Amino acid sequence: MTPAERLTFYGDGRQPPSPHADAPPTPEAYLVSEPLRKAVNLAIYLRRPLLLEGDAGCGKTRLAYSVAYELGLPLYRWDVRSSTKAQDGLYEYDAILRLHDVEVQKGLGLPPAPSTEADSDDSSPDHRNPGNPKHYRRFGPLGRAFRLRTCPAVVLIDEIDKADLDFPNDLLTVLDDPWAFTIRETGETVTADPHQRPIVIITSNKEKGNLPAPFLRRCLYRYLDFPNDPEQLKAIVDRHYALRQEPPPAAPLTTAAVEIFLSDRQERSWFKPPGTSEFLDWLRALHSFAPEPYSPTQLRKDTVLPYPELLFKRQDDWRNAAKAL
Amino acid sequence: MNDRDELVQRLFLRLNQSQFQLGLGEYLAALSAVEGGFGQSLEELEDTLKLLWCHSLAEQSQFEPLWQLEIAQISPRQRRKPPFPGGRKSGRLPPSPSSAATPRPSPPTPHPLPLNSPPKAETGVLPVQAPSRLTMAEEPLSLQAYYPISRRSMVYNWRYLRRPVADGPQDVLDVAATIQQVSRQGFYLTPVYRRRSRNQARLLLLVDQNGSMTPFHHFTRALVETARDTGALEPDNVSAFYFQNVPMGSLYRDTHLTKPVGLRAVLNSCDGGTSVLIVSDAGAGRGYRTKDRIRGSIRFLTQLRRYTTLIAWLNPMPQHRWVGSSADVIANAVPMFQMDNEGLGNAIDVIRGQPLTYPYSSSL
Repeated sequence: MTPAERLTFYGDGRQPPSPHADAPPTPEAYLVSEPLRKAVNLAIYLRRPLLLEGDAGCGKTRLAYSVAYELGLPLYRWDVRSSTKAQDGLYEYDAILRLHDVEVQKGLGLPPAPSTEADSDDSSPDHRNPGNPKHYRRFGPLGRAFRLRTCPAVVLIDEIDKADLDFPNDLLTVLDDPWAFTIRETGETVTADPHQRPIVIITSNKEKGNLPAPFLRRCLYRYLDFPNDPEQLKAIVDRHYALRQEPPPAAPLTTAAVEIFLSDRQERSWFKPPGTSEFLDWLRALHSFAPEPYSPTQLRKDTVLPYPELLFKRQDDWRNAAKAL
Repeated sequence: MNDRDELVQRLFLRLNQSQFQLGLGEYLAALSAVEGGFGQSLEELEDTLKLLWCHSLAEQSQFEPLWQLEIAQISPRQRRKPPFPGGRKSGRLPPSPSSAATPRPSPPTPHPLPLNSPPKAETGVLPVQAPSRLTMAEEPLSLQAYYPISRRSMVYNWRYLRRPVADGPQDVLDVAATIQQVSRQGFYLTPVYRRRSRNQARLLLLVDQNGSMTPFHHFTRALVETARDTGALEPDNVSAFYFQNVPMGSLYRDTHLTKPVGLRAVLNSCDGGTSVLIVSDAGAGRGYRTKDRIRGSIRFLTQLRRYTTLIAWLNPMPQHRWVGSSADVIANAVPMFQMDNEGLGNAIDVIRGQPLTYPYSSSL
């Protein structure tokens, strides 16, 4: 594969002419830094999972949407919960429904349908046939990604550290050669097309402890910093408003808000520092909550930040802010 | 092998020496990334390798000096060879000194390679002039904290201490068995329930406090917390008591040794199925060999054995430090392990009744 023909993520917010039906329909207001762009491209090239770590609100999850949108690839999102097992991402098998269908068939006095393997239609069929076990399996995000044959999928595994201890290692057994898993109930083996292996983006908040070493070894790792550069934050604001096709706040207000927000974020000791999305909300409130936009000179003079409920999300942060007066 | 591949290889070896846990797969991935054009310049190569091989911010900061070191070793030879022929892997280019544009100012090397190196250049991949640099490479390690076992490993290990008994309420729906029953009978009567199983393993932790154990309070606290709170064991089945130096007379309920409990009372709560884990340096911390300590410990162990045989001793000092101290003697009386991942795993094997696989011998 030469560099020209392989998938490349440019981060310019343009979508290819014919995206996949499951691709995200709307563009993301996401500003990709150069190192992050490279990390994504390397992950796509090597087809290794990309592990993103960083504070909440710095845009880990949005990146997957951005990648899927720009490459026009389907996005399958998998939100990990504390009870999630690795198999949930592959497939679920509804044995109860199959039993129910058998009972209904008997109750109606229909002859049992012949157990045919022929109509192994993959989409869930209109007429389920209890004789065909394949009608009762449902694929999870990874399972669907493995079955794609025309293009790879972007799989977002969100907040992996919420799951059970074994989860990352179980996941690895699937995301490694030969990129296949078996459905016990039907005896099928689902193998990913070697050229269309999924692009896996994993996010982690570092809520508890480290991930196991064998898992980390397989991943590409990037720590996402908060955009501490005023210009970068301004660019994010511009992009955000451009996508919503709304007039952005006047430049002096944006500049003042960015400066005050960033200096506050650095100087104050936060228990829960606000993220990019909080900043956008705050700016929006400054801009359009009152009939008149907030005055930048007033904002610079203020000792108490206006609309503090958008920035302080913890009682102790709130109290510290009140104390600082 | 061109310069880039060589750099990747040397760095890989160097990182593995510095306890980066990288496998051959990671090395091959790096090579294929270089081949795919992700390492055209030195900066790009550095970025790529960082992405692939460093999995925390700490590792990334460790990577930096090692990278500089390797660059410094490579750069003297750039006078003879052009550096990193751009684009795809190609054969060696003819030497052209003028094209040797250094991508970044190379740090000054204290011992540059002699320009007229001997003709056996193939074996020069790892030059023999390493000693002075090895000390430099080890410097970042000396700043690291002593951390033989992580909390996560403790949680993992505790999960092996289990004795599942299905004695809970009968409320777990067994889908597979239900369906099997229905298909056998031909009609549906009632779902099949199983009894909920519980972990019946009981654990008694005896933790040495204060004195030479003070530096390890961090670990012992984590050990008690993970045993109690992470859900592998039933919280009611875990009890922890504290003592100083030797468990004698009375043990204490708290880490400050203020709430005493009679040793007899604690022992009476044990039965043949109670797993006992003693955490103490057994005198190895300071290296003393005290007769009183040895005698006291042996007497306690003898007493304990009348109640249960599932006993192991976890020593936070590394094994080579036991030699000559009281721990050396005590280790012959009880399965004793050093407190790292393997040691804790073995200790848990012992207290769940597995045969002892690694008996201690002081001949080490």
